[in-house]
Amino acid sequence: MYPLVRLGPFNLSSGGLLLILALILGSSLLERAARRRGGDRLAEQASSAFLPALVGAAVGGRLWYGLLNWDLYGPAPQLFLVLRIADLAWPGALLGGLLAGWLWCRWRRFDAATLADAAALGLLPPQALASVGLLLSGEAFGVPTTLPWAVPLFGTTRHPTQLYLALAALLSYAALRWLDRRTGPPGTVFVVYLITQGLTFLLLEPLRADSLLLPYGIRAAQLVGLSLVVVALLWLRGQKQLTTAPHG
Amino acid sequence: MSFAAGRAQWNLLLVIVLLVGGLFIIATRVQPETVAASALSRSPVADTPAPQENHPAPDFTLSDPGGATVQLSALRGQVVLVNVWATWCPPCRAEMPMIDAAYAQYRDQGFTVLAVNQREDGRSVAAYMAQTGLSFPALLDRDGAVSAAYRANVLPSSFFIDRAGVVRAVYRGPMSRGVIAGTVEQLLAEEP
Repeated sequence: MYPLVRLGPFNLSSGGLLLILALILGSSLLERAARRRGGDRLAEQASSAFLPALVGAAVGGRLWYGLLNWDLYGPAPQLFLVLRIADLAWPGALLGGLLAGWLWCRWRRFDAATLADAAALGLLPPQALASVGLLLSGEAFGVPTTLPWAVPLFGTTRHPTQLYLALAALLSYAALRWLDRRTGPPGTVFVVYLITQGLTFLLLEPLRADSLLLPYGIRAAQLVGLSLVVVALLWLRGQKQLTTAPHG
Repeated sequence: MSFAAGRAQWNLLLVIVLLVGGLFIIATRVQPETVAASALSRSPVADTPAPQENHPAPDFTLSDPGGATVQLSALRGQVVLVNVWATWCPPCRAEMPMIDAAYAQYRDQGFTVLAVNQREDGRSVAAYMAQTGLSFPALLDRDGAVSAAYRANVLPSSFFIDRAGVVRAVYRGPMSRGVIAGTVEQLLAEEP
């Protein structure tokens, strides 16, 4: 665990540093993907939607974390505004970013589906980078295990969940790039992104030792994951080009 | 695209996904007894005091802003969190309400917190503690000697000391809430 990077007189949080690098990488990938899929016009729309989506993600991530830790955040609501990257939850950030991006697209009359495809292609490599940051800062740590690739953390050896998340993001990215070269209705790449995210939440969350829990020990992120997969499948079912039988 | 399939097949897929996914979520839910399963290692204790795991905790005596002194070794028998912090350190400030929540929850079971403030004057530390309503004691490390002995060159630095006075876990940088509660619970559950 290397939570801090010493840079002259400053101690920088390594997780935060990688998150910032991830955001820079994300904005450039988003613009490139948008240019490839929709030329200058879409690239401009993408860079215009980037900041609102980012703000939505930050708000959503913190709200998600705070609401699920309500006994801590309720009596001290100023915590919602604290600059603390660890107190962000990715499911909330994803939902918040999507909502803000969608509202921005509606307001500016952008083509949300095409833009979402480009966003999906820009999101995964930064996610992989940010996951490595989680390993450095010791966040999102795994349950104890004696597997040969376990990492020593917090007094025992644990699943390197952060590396699993990074690997899942890279595999998802490979799948999306493959899909990117094929034609489908606008929004298909994005919907497949939702499926990969949903599966990641569903399958990797049980290896995490710091899950946000609902009553009965149900992991909140898994419910989000399953919902993402179901919403994505419902969308795919509704696409005429993907369905042979008439609607009815 | 070659996803072409009938509506009935999509419906079937949806039902299967919901069923399998739901069962998987229930099967992998966190059961109460597994929460405390991530046991801290208990290795043979070294002879020399050091701010490292499985070394006796370096002893110190510090006073709080009111002048009352606290000696670490006098707290033998309790689980102690030594948290080195400063009021100017944002991650320290962000972490403290979580430490306070753990303190409120576990103090009756023998958990105490010593928040060792690094090189600040008593008045500003007292003002900060009063303003934030934190309930654990803040101690003044005016000359930085305790911070040095604990090699706390990263803020915040946290040292969990078991009932026998042995350092059992060291965290440099802010801790998540689960880490604090999990570590305290495990150390409280151990026989002294």
